[in-house]
Amino acid sequence: MSIKAFELVPAIERFQLMSERALTKIVCIESCGKNIYIGTDDCFVVHYLMEEQTNQQTGKMTFTSQKIGHKYLGVKKPVLELKSASALNRLMILCDSTLSMMNMMDLEPVVGGAKIRAVTSFCVNAQPLNNSPFSVEICVALKRKSLQVYLITEDRIQLMKDISTSSPPISMALTGEHLCFATSDLYSIINIQTSQTQELFTFDESLKPTVTNISRGEFLLSAPSALGMFAMANGMSQRPPLRWSDNLLSVAYYHPYVLALNDEFVTIHSVLDQQQKQSLPFKGGCHLGHFDGRLFVASGRDVYALVPVPVQKQLQNLLSLQRVHEALDLARSALKTGALPTAAFQRIQLQVGFIEFAAQNFEEARQLFLSASLDVRELISLYPNMLPPTCPFTRQIPPLHDMADIVQVAQKDHSKICIFQEFLLEYLKEIDASSKNIPHKQEVHSALLKLYAELNPAALPAFIQSDRLCHSPDCIEHLKKHGCHHAIALLHCVHGDNTHALKIWTQIVDGELQDDSFPGFNFIVDFITKLKNETVVWENIDWLLEQDESMAVQVLISNQSSKSADKFHVDGLLERLSGYPIAMKSYLEFLVLEKELPVERFHTHLSVLYLDDVLQLMNSPTPNAAQIESARKKLQHLLQMSNLYRVQLILGKVKQTELYTECAILYAKLEEHDKALRLLVHKVKDYKTAEMYCLVNSSADDLALRGRLFHLLLSLYLDSNHERHESLVGPAIDLLNRNRHYFNTAKVLEMIPDNWSVGLLSHFLTSSIRQHLHQSRTVHLHRMLSRTHHLQLKSDNIRLDSAYITLKDDVLCSVCGRDFTDPSFARYPNGVIAHISCITSKHVCPVTGKLFGTAPTSSPSNQHSPSGDSR
Amino acid sequence: DLKVVIMGAASVGKTTIIHRYIEKRFQETISTIGASFSLKQWGPYNIALWDTAGEERFSGLSSFYCRGAGAAILAYDLTSDDSFHALRARFKGLLEAAEDDCLVVVVGTKLDMVTEENRAVPPQDAKALARELNTQQLTELPYFETSSLSGHNVDRLFEYIFQHCLPVNESGQAIAEPKNRKRSGTVDL
Ligand SMILES: Nc1nc2c(ncn2[C@@H]2O[C@H](COP(=O)(O)OP(=O)(O)OP(=O)(O)O)[C@@H](O)[C@H]2O)c(=O)[nH]1
Ligand SMILES: [Mg+2]
Repeated sequence: MSIKAFELVPAIERFQLMSERALTKIVCIESCGKNIYIGTDDCFVVHYLMEEQTNQQTGKMTFTSQKIGHKYLGVKKPVLELKSASALNRLMILCDSTLSMMNMMDLEPVVGGAKIRAVTSFCVNAQPLNNSPFSVEICVALKRKSLQVYLITEDRIQLMKDISTSSPPISMALTGEHLCFATSDLYSIINIQTSQTQELFTFDESLKPTVTNISRGEFLLSAPSALGMFAMANGMSQRPPLRWSDNLLSVAYYHPYVLALNDEFVTIHSVLDQQQKQSLPFKGGCHLGHFDGRLFVASGRDVYALVPVPVQKQLQNLLSLQRVHEALDLARSALKTGALPTAAFQRIQLQVGFIEFAAQNFEEARQLFLSASLDVRELISLYPNMLPPTCPFTRQIPPLHDMADIVQVAQKDHSKICIFQEFLLEYLKEIDASSKNIPHKQEVHSALLKLYAELNPAALPAFIQSDRLCHSPDCIEHLKKHGCHHAIALLHCVHGDNTHALKIWTQIVDGELQDDSFPGFNFIVDFITKLKNETVVWENIDWLLEQDESMAVQVLISNQSSKSADKFHVDGLLERLSGYPIAMKSYLEFLVLEKELPVERFHTHLSVLYLDDVLQLMNSPTPNAAQIESARKKLQHLLQMSNLYRVQLILGKVKQTELYTECAILYAKLEEHDKALRLLVHKVKDYKTAEMYCLVNSSADDLALRGRLFHLLLSLYLDSNHERHESLVGPAIDLLNRNRHYFNTAKVLEMIPDNWSVGLLSHFLTSSIRQHLHQSRTVHLHRMLSRTHHLQLKSDNIRLDSAYITLKDDVLCSVCGRDFTDPSFARYPNGVIAHISCITSKHVCPVTGKLFGTAPTSSPSNQHSPSGDSR
Repeated sequence: DLKVVIMGAASVGKTTIIHRYIEKRFQETISTIGASFSLKQWGPYNIALWDTAGEERFSGLSSFYCRGAGAAILAYDLTSDDSFHALRARFKGLLEAAEDDCLVVVVGTKLDMVTEENRAVPPQDAKALARELNTQQLTELPYFETSSLSGHNVDRLFEYIFQHCLPVNESGQAIAEPKNRKRSGTVDL
């Protein structure tokens, strides 16, 4: 767990006071700015000035020192503690249980300066409560069980607080109002403003208690079993204890490290994870201290500086040892204190990220990359062939990691490589989803495309179709390599190159290319159908026809635009279809039945095709009645519905067959009803159809024709020349009964053979008479009503004509506002009067625009209101 | 936020049970020196779990780490009579430093090792202790027998404590004003 956080650099070597022989030893040191003060065991205070130099090349720091002066205090007792107060130009000295002050520069005692006696130890408030820069707060431990807090100014020592303790205090630290102190068996914290005391914990007398101030309100205490306990001003602990060495002599804090001195080592511990980080052998140490941002440690004869290794260097050391958690902890804390700029911190995160990445701790890596906003290209560049060759990217210098690529990291193990690829895929997906405008979009998208091609080709279509930037030749090359031809085609068509795309698809269908992800022939059909591009259809129609005629026709049909309906175009198309009977038929069906194009050729062609179908079915060795029936229905429907085909041509063909129904339809077209009905009655023997025939072949408006047809049919039924005429009596009666209103009763009676009984006809006759009676009454009623109406109109007319209008001089034309000079004028029913020349319509009032009746005979002046009830 | 402290004689399995809860696995441990500390997220709250050292020489420190605790686990080894008596003798007193309404949970450990013959403490004695150490009204008697080896009752134990002190609903949101809302042991790195 070791790391180099500090270096020992000699500051004052072979400290000598008078001569070689004098065995003077250092007891304590103090430093302030460039001044170093040494307190000796033989009652001297020695003053040095020290310069520090940094070697430009190695970055190593060296110190040169120069003795300025010394002072003998004259009591032959060791100088136990020294503290400077630079603003006051004072040095505080504890020697012979007396706290006194001297001038910092010439080491002369302060004239008339007060002294505090019976002092065992003292400390300076690290965060004084008094804001004046020209005062210092100190706390002294007295031999008699008490602590005293003083405010010291240049020439005065003023007692502020006296605190009595249960037993003599031994060690203490003061920060702000919090004073933490130890007696021989107990640590306590007291608030010097409120005197509120909090006992921390007890220990046995074998321990030498030390109290070190860590930060405002937090102290570090030595505890049994070589523990360093953290304690907050509220009496609680925020961190687990440190483990340091026994026989602790001195402790200093330099964020985030605690330095502990014993007689053999300086050990360095991190408060972040409470672990020991470094141990420097140091024999005979007596005092270690943190003075204004600098650390010095003294042995009996030498003073060394503890120079912190720059955070960056520590971090790189940790990283090179793969101690990522420590590195991150340290970097975070350095970021907080400002020792590490944000950019450098992010770089550390990235370095850690890549270490985690190499170790396949992908979740950690992901978070670090995201939080330090990694340039994705750094990551992509680790994967061979993932960056487009045109991408000008080069990796950061100095490098963030020492990996060549993932193949090297995975040691060519294919399954491992896959795991790395999966990570990249997930990471890029997340990046891609995070926002619309991600940096290096092109690189991200083409890498995603390539990864999908390798890991999950099924996801490619959706990916490609969502408009990604990955249409580079190298992407296509990559797809080709992985057999993703369908994806290539999609890419082409996303970029508008449909011809290219279709070429690939047709090759897949034809088996020239292999790609299982291609959905199949129907995909092409759908594609072309949706495309609605004439040229594309024409380019591919032959291929489509080869594949599937009816599908091909569907494509053609769905591509029918107004232009393609033009005759020339259709002819060309039909010519192309000539080799494909199914396609031809479907297309003609479309033209004739759906589009209802009035072109004789199409209708005739289709009829012939239908007829051929029927004949083929009928002539097959195993005729299928249902099939024949449906084929005939189609033919019949067409023949019946269309009026455009060449009837004679079809008739010629049909006549040679037994398709009597069809034949009848054709005769009907030629208005040869007699022949048609004869076929129906005698050949087909379908009397219902015959009856229908009469209705179908005459319009409801042309009752005369309809009547004629019915009579014709009746006469066929009654034809006594026919050998079967007996059997036709029933149909004849049915016909009469069902359609009596189309028959002329008188004529029917003439036609009926005399031998028929009245009973047979009674139904027909009674209803005929009833109908005629009804007709005659209705007509009568009509006549009378019309007469009433006529009289009414006449009366209205007379009333209107007999009224008169006087036109005076002051009456002006409502349109032009001028006088009337002519005797003729126009008057509207609403009273508006105007020149004849001024009005535009007799029926529209020129002023109000009101519309009056539009009967062509009525003039504006004798408009009559809508006729009232004429009854 | 909540501070939870676990105390008990040496080697009863304090470190192991915390490790079991946090890491969800059983791991051999070394005897704890001083104390150690884990953070656990509980809905919107942070929970500081303080593991103390059971050896006698650390007793003074344990009371220090007990300060401000909203809940304390007193752990003993179900197969060791001494470890149970130590709870009354040594650890009961340390609870003085905890919050006044500190929830005290008595936990017997190493249930997996217990057989008919070697069970050293009758459950009713332990339950009596649990009843005696808690003054507040409780729905469930704060007594659990656990095994860090199998994980038996470990999650239940901690969730019981957290839910009692800092009630949260199923989606992890705070339900009501927590009972022990003293700030405690958050680490400022
Ligand atoms: N079988 C079994 N062994 C356990 C269980 N809990 C702890 N142990 C074992 O008991 C021993 C002591 O466990 P620790 O967790 O270190 O005990 P501790 O209470 O933390 O001890 P100190 O830190 O010295 O106070 C270890 O060897 C553990 O493996 C348990 O539930 N079942
Ligand atoms: Mg332990």
